[in-house]
Amino acid sequence: MRSRLPALVVVACVAVVSGCGRSEPTFSSRQGLAPAMDEYVRTSIDQKFGIPNDIRVWDRLPLRPHAATAVVGEGAQDKILPLTLVEQHRDLVNGQEVVWVAGTSMPQDSAKVKAESWNAEANLLKLSAAPPAPPKTGDRVVVGPGAVLVHGRALYAEHCQHCHGVGGDGKGPTAPYLNIRPRDYRKGLFKFTSTKEGLKAHRDDLGRIVEEGIPGTYMPSFKLLKKNESQAIIEYVLYLSMRGETEYALYNILAGDYSNDSIATRVKDGETEDKIVSEFVTRVKEGEIDDDASSMLEKMIGDWTTAQTPEAIIVPKEKRYASDAASIERGRALYLSNNLNCVACHGDSGLGDGIQTYSITVNTETQKPNLEPGLYDTWGNKIKPRNLRLGMFRGGRRPIDVYARIEAGIKGTPMPAFGGKMTEQQKWDLVNYILELPHEARTPGTGVAPVTANAAPAAPAAAH
Amino acid sequence: MKRFWCFFFMFWPIVAFVLCWIAPDMGWWFPSNGPTGMKAASPIGERIDDLYYMILYITTATFVGTQVALGYVLFKGAAMTDEGNEQKVWYSHGSHNLEVIWTIVPACILLFIALYQMDVVKEVRVKSAFPAETKGGTVAIAEVTARQFEWRIRYPGIGPDGKKLPLMPKPQPTDLYTVNDLRVPTGEPSMIILQSGDVQHAFFLPELRVKQDAVPGLDIPVWFEASKSGDYTLLCAELCGWGHYKMKAKLVAQPEADHMEFMRQLTVQQNYDGVPEATNEVAQGEE
Repeated sequence: MRSRLPALVVVACVAVVSGCGRSEPTFSSRQGLAPAMDEYVRTSIDQKFGIPNDIRVWDRLPLRPHAATAVVGEGAQDKILPLTLVEQHRDLVNGQEVVWVAGTSMPQDSAKVKAESWNAEANLLKLSAAPPAPPKTGDRVVVGPGAVLVHGRALYAEHCQHCHGVGGDGKGPTAPYLNIRPRDYRKGLFKFTSTKEGLKAHRDDLGRIVEEGIPGTYMPSFKLLKKNESQAIIEYVLYLSMRGETEYALYNILAGDYSNDSIATRVKDGETEDKIVSEFVTRVKEGEIDDDASSMLEKMIGDWTTAQTPEAIIVPKEKRYASDAASIERGRALYLSNNLNCVACHGDSGLGDGIQTYSITVNTETQKPNLEPGLYDTWGNKIKPRNLRLGMFRGGRRPIDVYARIEAGIKGTPMPAFGGKMTEQQKWDLVNYILELPHEARTPGTGVAPVTANAAPAAPAAAH
Repeated sequence: MKRFWCFFFMFWPIVAFVLCWIAPDMGWWFPSNGPTGMKAASPIGERIDDLYYMILYITTATFVGTQVALGYVLFKGAAMTDEGNEQKVWYSHGSHNLEVIWTIVPACILLFIALYQMDVVKEVRVKSAFPAETKGGTVAIAEVTARQFEWRIRYPGIGPDGKKLPLMPKPQPTDLYTVNDLRVPTGEPSMIILQSGDVQHAFFLPELRVKQDAVPGLDIPVWFEASKSGDYTLLCAELCGWGHYKMKAKLVAQPEADHMEFMRQLTVQQNYDGVPEATNEVAQGEE
């Protein structure tokens, strides 16, 4: 026994060392592309977004990633910059990098210039060293590049990653144990928004979710986070969404011709694999694929930008109507009406047991019937219509929250937008009814008239 | 060398005595980051601390006593082996009297501790002994539901007369809700109804020395009194799942007026209909 011990120790040490070897974390979990094309997607994504330990920010994205962006004002000296702040998202402190985005000192890969101190009253930034070329009025600089995202990454890793995954794919290690799946950000879709129909989420919508959690799901409230911490997390989540969308866009462009499956089919049809790859290389060289991608990315950037504007937010045209018996009754009639057909999913009594929950429904993406009955969201998860009697409102219980759900629907789910179908009063009537449902006493109906002995022979079905 | 061990064993009771003497002033053993610092933040908490220190003094006295006895025996034994000492070794076969004494004395001490803390336990746990403000454990300020991994809180709303409505067992349309943010008035006993939405949790206010398990299916009344305004920590103290570590909230004690103002703000927030105040010309209906 004694002679074996050293060997065992050696084996254990080797196991420990090799088992704990750290591999570089990656965002991606794409599957199915042939290696050459996968490599193309990887490099073009990495150019724009980097990897978790080396984040890059593509400056086209509507994010707030830096501590500050600024324009150099009059009277710049070698080490002292008068700055007009364009955006500021963090305090300017000693040691933050200063990067020229446009102007004389660009490019400046060789020399790293750092901030030493910031005088907020005089708007003067003192630098640790002089930039390679003397700064000029009108130069645009970034102070603390990516500071917000780096902060967000650390907080995301601590609070979010174990469910939502490194790349925001909703496949973190705890995700398999959750019945309501964590959100996969990569579609750029968020369910509970205050924005109009078809628009993406506003920053504040994500902020509300982080602060309040989503009742009835595993998303807890993170109310104790400081303001700048939750802001950093939101920015990082937006960054992950945009990254995921970019990846999806590239994937969708290539999947038709160059997935493993389609290449196999093409080889079967007489093409050679080398030829397919060289055809792909030519298409990349001619910029065809980049063009396709960039039009999709333009749309994504535009969509995100639009959603952040005040015009994107739903503002009811009229104030809430009083939640009195008459309004609630009108709301009930609307709820049961054929026009809105709420009952198809939410059921006659609002228990979330409408006929659609056990019907074969059509997949919203492929337009084919689903294999199993029930309702599905865009991510392919089977979902239940809300039981409106539980008093659990996932997107919030304020009247405006319920109003927004009716007005714009729930994005990524079969809950449609009813905004165009209803008058303001009808919307508020329905809101009042839905907010009243958890408190409504469920009284039994009068039922059908009892079957009498005389009627029995005439209606055997009823007697049965 | 043989007397070294006598001194060695005598050294520790001295250390224990000194530590015990300075412990209450150093605040080592109680959470000390709340608004009241080292002191418990509630009157009953101070009495709980006193109980703790009393047990500390009893155990220190016992430790010192037994160590001194050990030292005495060692010292005597060492003297026996001194040069020129003719005393022979002798054997003992136990002492009935001694055994009776060292059974009865600790039993009395334990009985004393058990009886001595009964008042405090009664006030903490037994409804009929709850402070008058809770009307015998019937008037609660909020319903706190622990769930994986957050604290959901339901307050009664404010009535037309501007006063708080009573908290009903079932949710009411007027109820107000917060998450991870429990607000109570300072300087008066407040009672909450503790529930669990899923598994076992424990409602733990370390600075107020309150700890109560939340058991699925039970409505458990818990009362506490924050003696000073400020933010306190509310933790889950029962391992409730993978997210237990993040199940943290705050208890905010505010003066009565501020507390009511918060409730009014919450009412406004919760009834927000998305229409900015300025465009209220078309206002119809309530408010």
